[in-house]
Amino acid sequence: MDGNGIILSIKNLVKAFPKDDTEMIAVSGFALDVKDGEFICLLGPSGCGKTTVLRIIAGLQSATSGELTLKGKPITGPGSDRGMVFQEFGLFPWRSVKKNVEFGLEVQGVDETKKNEISKRFIDLVGLSGFERSHPNQLSGGMKQRVGIARALASNPEILLMDEPFGALDAQTRNLMQKELLRIWQETKKTVIFVTHSVDEAVFLADRIVVMTGRPGKIKEIYTVTLPRPRDRGHPDFINLRKKILDELEQQRQGT
Amino acid sequence: MSSLLDMRVIHKRYLTKDNLIRTSLMIVSLPIFIAFWWILALYFQGQNFYYLPTPLEVWDALVQAWTQDPATRLSLLANVYASLVRFLLGFLLALGLAAPLGLLLGYSRYANALAFPVIELLRPIPPIAWVPFLLLAASFFWGPILTIFIGVFFPVLSNVIFGVRSVDPLIIDAAKTQGANRWQVFSKVMFPSSIPYMMAGVKIGLGVGWMCIVAAEMLASQGGGVGAIIVGGQTVGRYDIMFAGMVTVAVLGILTLLIGSLIERRVKKWMGME
Repeated sequence: MDGNGIILSIKNLVKAFPKDDTEMIAVSGFALDVKDGEFICLLGPSGCGKTTVLRIIAGLQSATSGELTLKGKPITGPGSDRGMVFQEFGLFPWRSVKKNVEFGLEVQGVDETKKNEISKRFIDLVGLSGFERSHPNQLSGGMKQRVGIARALASNPEILLMDEPFGALDAQTRNLMQKELLRIWQETKKTVIFVTHSVDEAVFLADRIVVMTGRPGKIKEIYTVTLPRPRDRGHPDFINLRKKILDELEQQRQGT
Repeated sequence: MSSLLDMRVIHKRYLTKDNLIRTSLMIVSLPIFIAFWWILALYFQGQNFYYLPTPLEVWDALVQAWTQDPATRLSLLANVYASLVRFLLGFLLALGLAAPLGLLLGYSRYANALAFPVIELLRPIPPIAWVPFLLLAASFFWGPILTIFIGVFFPVLSNVIFGVRSVDPLIIDAAKTQGANRWQVFSKVMFPSSIPYMMAGVKIGLGVGWMCIVAAEMLASQGGGVGAIIVGGQTVGRYDIMFAGMVTVAVLGILTLLIGSLIERRVKKWMGME
């Protein structure tokens, strides 16, 4: 940390993909400083480049230009200092819940006793005790994503990257998982970057909402959400903020 | 959450009318076939055409061959054993070479580019077409084994290559974000992902393997073998023995396929994919 509590710093990020004979600019001039322990939502319509930004932070894609530093160190590729949770879970089907959660530890050569201890802690944390030996195909969508979260946290990353993690879940499970995520976030005090296209979800979860516009993907506006948690979706302030962001996205849609 | 486990118990099979009809048809299927065969054999024998024995004659020949068949002068079990040894050696050799090579060719695009034209050139050659060459170039012992090897090698190879290429890119990303290096991505993600495909290749290979062994033994059969029973029976004019050999091959083929399916199911269950 630089003393000012900034854990992740993104400066002038540009991502261009080759398309036909020209280049398609997916992300342009993206800049953001994320504070340690902060819950950030990247919000925007599909195709606005929010997932691309997340994947670049994860190191799964490289930036065309720009500077990304995590705790002052430049990001050059994927690493266990950034845990990622995927929309379609990305669990290893042949591994049990326990073995999925232990994957990162196994890869780092953590010894057996330590592995057992850590996986137990995170399986308990996400509420999957008793399912250690189940395989992903025996779990519901919500439970699968609990495994995904436990797996991402088990390697003790500096930052948790979540790519529309609840997008594949039904509305009820989704609301439950949002509450669960906030509980886990408060217990682990991890920094979270959460990609979503749901305004409601962003307002419910985030400390700051980064609203992006598409083609090329840029930051349109950053909202700081000061509503106290647990947030009440029926509260006038919640409704007002949600409407304000929705209006902005709507304007944007009509403008382009 | 325990309801999730309860769900698995509710797998009752109901005896529907459709089920009943299909089961009955399956029960009468073989008797109808045998009756048809019998009538056909009796008809031909009435026309002084003796090449097709009746099921009863084949059964008697099987009983005789059990102790000693007149062509190879070996017991049926000794013949089956001779074929099984060839089959297993050829099969394991093919699996042992095709699986690692398939993993390499599925993983490395350069290795694949180098090997692809050669493989595509050799693949269409029927294993049996190699027999005349193998009998000259290889010993009587290795000739049939290598024929089986060729038959099993290509289906396993193609399936493993396909398996490695079919790995869900999402779980590769997941492994990378967990800090896995290239080797770990390969050994902990790509390899286990490709195992079910490998098993599919093995199952195809089992079937092709039996077809090859009989063909190989029909041409060269030092120390007997089920193919030798068939050829020997024909040579000495014992057509009932010839058919007894054919029945033996059918039974062996079914047994190997059953064992193959059993292993496949075990592996899938062990991997939590079923």
